Amino acid sequence: MPLSELVQYVVTGLLVGGVYALMSIGLALIFGVMRVVNFAQGDFMMLGMYVTYFLATGYGVDPLAGALLIVPPFFVLGVLVHRVLLARVTGGGDPQREMDAQLILTLGLSLIITNATTMILSPMPRGIQTAYATRAFVVGPILMNQARSYAFLMAVLLALLVYGFLTRTDLGKALRAAADEPEAAEYQGISVRAMHGLAFGIGIALVAAAGGLLATYHPIEPTVAVNFIVLMFVAVVLGGLGSIPGAFAGGLLIGLVQSLTLLVVPFQLQNVGVFVAFLLVLYLRPHGLLGQRLRAV
Amino acid sequence: MTVLRNGRRNLFQVGAAVLALMLAVLGPGSGAALAAEELRIALVAPLSGRWARQGQLKKMGAEMAIEEINAQGGIRALGGARIVLREADAGDTVEKAVSAAQRVLGREKISAGIGAWLSSFTLGVTEVAERLQVPWFTLSYADSITERGFKYTFQTSPVGGLQAAQALDLFLSLAKSHRTEVRKAAIVGDNTAASVFFFKPLREKLLRDKGIDLVADEIWTPPLADATPVVQKIRSTRPDVMFFSATALPDSIQVLQKMKEFGVRLPIMGNGVWLLMPETVRAVGRELIEGVMSSVGAHPLKGQDALVDRFKKRTGEPFMVQDALMAYVHVWVIKEAAELAKSTDPRAIREAVTRLDLTSGPAAAALVPGRIRYDERGRRVGATTIIVQWQDGEPFTVAPAEFATRKPLWQAAR
Amino acid sequence: MADRRTTSSLRRLVPVAVVVLVGFVLAGVLQERYHQRILTLVLVWATMGLAWNVISGYAGQISFGHQAFFGIGAYATVLLTVHAGLTPWVGMWVGVAVAVLAAVLIGVPTFRLAGIYFALATLAYPLILRIVMDFLGYQELAIPMVRDHPARHMQFADPRAYTVLCLAVFAGTLGLSDWLESSRLGYSLRALKENEQAAEATGVDTFRSKMLAYMLSAAPAALIGAVYAYAVLFVVTPDAVFGVLVIVQTLVVCLVGGAGSKWGPPIGAALMVPISETLDATLGDRFPGIQGVVYGAALVLIMLCAPEWLYWRIRGMVMARRGERTEPAVVSGPSPARVPSGAVSRGDAPAGALLEVRGVSKAFLGLHALEDVSFVVKRGEILGIIGPNGAGKTTLFNVLNGFLIPQRGEVRYKGERVSGLPPHAICRRGVGRTFQVVRTFPHLSVLENVMVGAFVRAPAPPAARAGALEALAFVGLRHRAGATAGGLTTLELRLMELARCLATGPDLVLLDEPLAGLSRDGVNVLVRLVRILREGGVTVVIIEHTMQAVVRLVDRLVVLDHGRRIAEGAPDEVIRDPAVIEAYLGKRWLRYAEDRRA
Repeated sequence: MPLSELVQYVVTGLLVGGVYALMSIGLALIFGVMRVVNFAQGDFMMLGMYVTYFLATGYGVDPLAGALLIVPPFFVLGVLVHRVLLARVTGGGDPQREMDAQLILTLGLSLIITNATTMILSPMPRGIQTAYATRAFVVGPILMNQARSYAFLMAVLLALLVYGFLTRTDLGKALRAAADEPEAAEYQGISVRAMHGLAFGIGIALVAAAGGLLATYHPIEPTVAVNFIVLMFVAVVLGGLGSIPGAFAGGLLIGLVQSLTLLVVPFQLQNVGVFVAFLLVLYLRPHGLLGQRLRAV
Repeated sequence: MTVLRNGRRNLFQVGAAVLALMLAVLGPGSGAALAAEELRIALVAPLSGRWARQGQLKKMGAEMAIEEINAQGGIRALGGARIVLREADAGDTVEKAVSAAQRVLGREKISAGIGAWLSSFTLGVTEVAERLQVPWFTLSYADSITERGFKYTFQTSPVGGLQAAQALDLFLSLAKSHRTEVRKAAIVGDNTAASVFFFKPLREKLLRDKGIDLVADEIWTPPLADATPVVQKIRSTRPDVMFFSATALPDSIQVLQKMKEFGVRLPIMGNGVWLLMPETVRAVGRELIEGVMSSVGAHPLKGQDALVDRFKKRTGEPFMVQDALMAYVHVWVIKEAAELAKSTDPRAIREAVTRLDLTSGPAAAALVPGRIRYDERGRRVGATTIIVQWQDGEPFTVAPAEFATRKPLWQAAR
Repeated sequence: MADRRTTSSLRRLVPVAVVVLVGFVLAGVLQERYHQRILTLVLVWATMGLAWNVISGYAGQISFGHQAFFGIGAYATVLLTVHAGLTPWVGMWVGVAVAVLAAVLIGVPTFRLAGIYFALATLAYPLILRIVMDFLGYQELAIPMVRDHPARHMQFADPRAYTVLCLAVFAGTLGLSDWLESSRLGYSLRALKENEQAAEATGVDTFRSKMLAYMLSAAPAALIGAVYAYAVLFVVTPDAVFGVLVIVQTLVVCLVGGAGSKWGPPIGAALMVPISETLDATLGDRFPGIQGVVYGAALVLIMLCAPEWLYWRIRGMVMARRGERTEPAVVSGPSPARVPSGAVSRGDAPAGALLEVRGVSKAFLGLHALEDVSFVVKRGEILGIIGPNGAGKTTLFNVLNGFLIPQRGEVRYKGERVSGLPPHAICRRGVGRTFQVVRTFPHLSVLENVMVGAFVRAPAPPAARAGALEALAFVGLRHRAGATAGGLTTLELRLMELARCLATGPDLVLLDEPLAGLSRDGVNVLVRLVRILREGGVTVVIIEHTMQAVVRLVDRLVVLDHGRRIAEGAPDEVIRDPAVIEAYLGKRWLRYAEDRRA
């Protein structure tokens, strides 16, 4: 195989992985701070796609801009969902049962969102036609799809912003304190509950933005999330649960593996490559690529 | 342990209410009314979940036929009995589809049924119909549906294996008329059951018999992460035609978009209604879809303009596709069988269907070859594949020629 | 958790029999086929829930991939029918065998992972299987309808036959769960769910227990998967049996009903399946999609009203109504001055070294926690280990009981090299330990906590119960046997942990700061117990900070500092050793000690 073809595989994989990465950091943040496995994460992404779509078709907002515009409203939505639903089953009880309760709660939420969207917006798939979806940047022999390239850049940008927020700002540090040492954080006057709300809000906003970026080249339907939710979980676990850079790396890695695995296995088994890589990483590094040991029992 | 203060009472109240509701609904004899003479048709199709769109189209078609029949005075042989539709939501799992069939067939007397769209659903649902002896009509393509020796299953579309052969022949004659030789072919698509039925005969026999080389065979498990490898393979092997069947809209759209991005153009012969939906053109635009062909079991034919117009007016859909048309046909077939049987008894209707030979009327006019008969296996005699092609943003029947609404456009490979 | 006497083991089967009987009567009474189908589905999902409950409820190893076994059962059975003409009555057992084998193949690598990592790793297996089934061309496998002797091929015209078939599998799984709840394995699973390390230290082979549970959980899942294909689906697709919706349904019935009890999944299934079907039958057919909204809302509501699951919620209410009978928490101190029969040295040569530590070194990330530590524990002595914080005392215990493997050096117990053995194996050789911060199994009763230890010597539950009661009596905690471990005082916790350790029948007990956090009376109680233990022939190694107590108690002392042994000998000598004074005790202590001598 010529080198240029190999490079094309790598580039394609990274571009695909970029959006996986952005989808996954929201989930990683929610898990890292709240220890909540949010089954409804994909459905918020779907809602993000729809809102971007309506902005694009109704008001002529370019979906790349739309993906950013929807961040504030989805943040508010996330905070509300946390306050109204999740916060009621968190705090004070047996952690295992709380986790189970949240699992079922988000599962129920997911059912409500998917089915209500189907009923209200009809199951018909829709798509935003963008010029850049079918154009490529040509770099020598390498083709880089423009929509995916823009989405990749935006994903990196948003991820850097979140990372900067978590490591450089006081609020971000408080968030991490609430995640790592909730009791100590309470003593320092940090409201863990408020921090959970903040984390959930940011997590939802990020995944909605990822949906907006995805909508530049991917059709939108109420059940669109099923194709991505498993990959999101895989990325988050690959990176080490709760680690933001880890989840980003995990997302990129999935894209790469999806692409490069085609060099060795039949196309049909592409995702088997992903899952096998996932299991291998876990066997070799039982806490993910960048994860830390969860606190001992 | 944190517990809501009055949670206990709430819980009991909710529990009691739920129990009462369930008893009321599931209690024996619900809805088993001895209504006046009417013929009930069951429609089992996905009305919620990821295939809900297809189920809705079926429902539109069936409702239109029923309205027409009832407006004409119902079933004459039964003293003007009206037809009513009983829908049951097959949801998105085989379990739910079979449950839906069990439910709708158990609740009251049903004379015949239609559905359940996805071939795996149909396989499960026809099993229920067979046990309860209710004739069942399906548009599903899977050969296996009528290979089980069932007596109550009627398959109206040409089966998958036949479609592949007919689609290949129709395409080759089209190529010949444009003086193009077809030497190399590509197979591109997913590995869902519907695609496999179409691809398997091509790959194993048909292409070889015609002396065509299979130069690319790119099959993925949906969802397709990225179409680059597929289109790269097409670009490097330069086939003369691409046989294409991707049952998920995002996957088919990705392939079309990527072909444009890579500057690849060639004749595309698809399979199934996937490529022919209004949302397909809305998602990718006219330019990308122009000239793409797909083989289906039914599509509006020459002389059906009035029907299509009525459908468009009723539903607001931009055009009519197989799912709606086939449901429309099935209702009419059931109506004609009931006329013949002079009964609403499902066994009598099944027996009438085996004797049925329709050569005129809305049902016969909607299908090639313009005649409806079923053989002893339940397959429609002479069922012929229809080739549909996108022209100016709308799919038209282009073959067989005597039924076509437009002349085929030739899309040269480059 | 209520304890039932062994004599009532038959009586406890009564509720199981009643539930099965109710199912049987319902199967006979329900006339409509659709109602039969709902009953069948309730039984299918209750069984699948019970199967999941074995590994995830009892053992706490949440599996998001249990549909792998469900699907293997279905596919194996149907493939054998389609390709080999084998009747499903035989094929389903082949399916079970394949599933159990798969459980071993999956379990061996995957049990290396803990908690949520395990849960999410299991997610991958059914997804892989699903893709592979598509790849192999098994997208749709219709079960061929047999017209002659259909019953021989698990095909029935009468839907009640399917219901009875599912009921049989359900009854078997319920019986299995019932047996598990009172068996040694069941105790081991519940213990390792609560605290895996404590379970290991108490002699539970956690890996083996998890493996067994996984296999026992795969078998019914495969069986009901096969029956599901024949009774419910009639056609097998990868999506229908390996799909995410299978595990979602399983999670719903278990988590709504309540995991960790055999009644949870049946309650969840009996509630949620009819709700779902009712919604489909009423709203769903008229306003497609609304049933999903309402079902989702029902899940949300149930979780908001009863986040700790219905079964436990209802149980809690019943218990509250009955009024929990708790005895006053008076600690009487050790009543009989007799060492529990398990914990008596098993008649080998008395004199000499029981435990030898030879040149043990252990470093974490280059930091030496232990460096070339050697000493000997003599049979029948009380040896104290002291040292400042971070001296490596607890690390040393972790090496001694097998939590850590030393990089250099070895530990020999009764002449046998034990370093490198897993903790449960060392425990079974007669080394018991307690922890600096007490590690209990908080949701188990005091008696059950101790029984986990007693199983080391007495595999049968009645004998273990007797042994545990004896150990509880020894530490003076018998009156608290029925209390939940989560609600004990610090002293009671220490005593319970000691009882649990003694119930394993140790010759050597390692006590990690057993006096920490105790009142003066509490200290006296424990010190007295340790003395009685030694008189009974048990050797004791004790880490302690409370100096006065140690000096009064021990025969010899080993002093650690920065991972090194800096002194060893009789207390009087050691506390006057200049190195020790400098490292740890300080001059004031010396003055105190000399005053005391004077």
